[in-house]
Amino acid sequence: MKFETTELRYKRLPAKAPLQRGRAAVWQARLVLLVMINLAQLWILSAAVDAALGHEFRHLLGLVIASGVCWLISLSIFFWWKPVGSRQSGSA
Amino acid sequence: MSSDLSNAINNVLSDEQDVRSATAAYQAEFPYERDEEAQVTRREFCNFLVLTSTALFVGAAGFSAKAAIDARSEHTLPPMPIDGAAELQPGSALNFHYPGDETAILLRAKDGSYSAFGQKCTHLSCPVHYAKERDRLECPCHEGGFDARTGAVLYGPPPRPLDKIDIQTRNGQIYAVGREVRGSEV
Repeated sequence: MKFETTELRYKRLPAKAPLQRGRAAVWQARLVLLVMINLAQLWILSAAVDAALGHEFRHLLGLVIASGVCWLISLSIFFWWKPVGSRQSGSA
Repeated sequence: MSSDLSNAINNVLSDEQDVRSATAAYQAEFPYERDEEAQVTRREFCNFLVLTSTALFVGAAGFSAKAAIDARSEHTLPPMPIDGAAELQPGSALNFHYPGDETAILLRAKDGSYSAFGQKCTHLSCPVHYAKERDRLECPCHEGGFDARTGAVLYGPPPRPLDKIDIQTRNGQIYAVGREVRGSEV
């Protein structure tokens, strides 16, 4: 008896359209980027709390600017870096 | 009819039309309730992450602004008598509030001299207490220690000394007359 691997089983299935797979990859990449930005912002917030409690105010402005840059990047990813929609892909 | 049409339009427009249906072979072979698994779509999670990012930015900016404004505002504090300070035994401590609801701690050394500090640990604002047997102020949260005479950091994570409460003796009564926030250079 021959065992069928998961990979072979997938090959038997009707392949998804390349465009659909590409869109899924872009969605995945957006999510990963946003998660990383969130982690960076969490670190920045904890550093800001630490600096404020230690009265080291010279660090605060830089940390707030860094958090703002992260926020702008996440906004740009959210609003402008989108997968190509079905309508655009149909006409392309 | 119209609902069929709107469903069809949604299917065409949606980037995630197969999120809540079994698409892979192993999903078809193990037919369990997939609604539970796919309650959050990628789009919803994306929205949540952007909102979180906004909240973190607003939090960092707001916290920093408040800390900076509080540090810059210089206000003279009214003198306040500390009740029970005159009866305090040498080698013991007394809690009081100054200014307003801010908690503070008054210490009387064995030689009879007084010193007072803000009770909030400079690490993460836990209340410090006087450890009589070791003659120092200790923070129970993260094991920080402060000198009972000066409020300077002896050990642990606190980045700066305790806030110093200025005290004066007027007609045999102990008064708190000011509060000094000290930086890490002290």
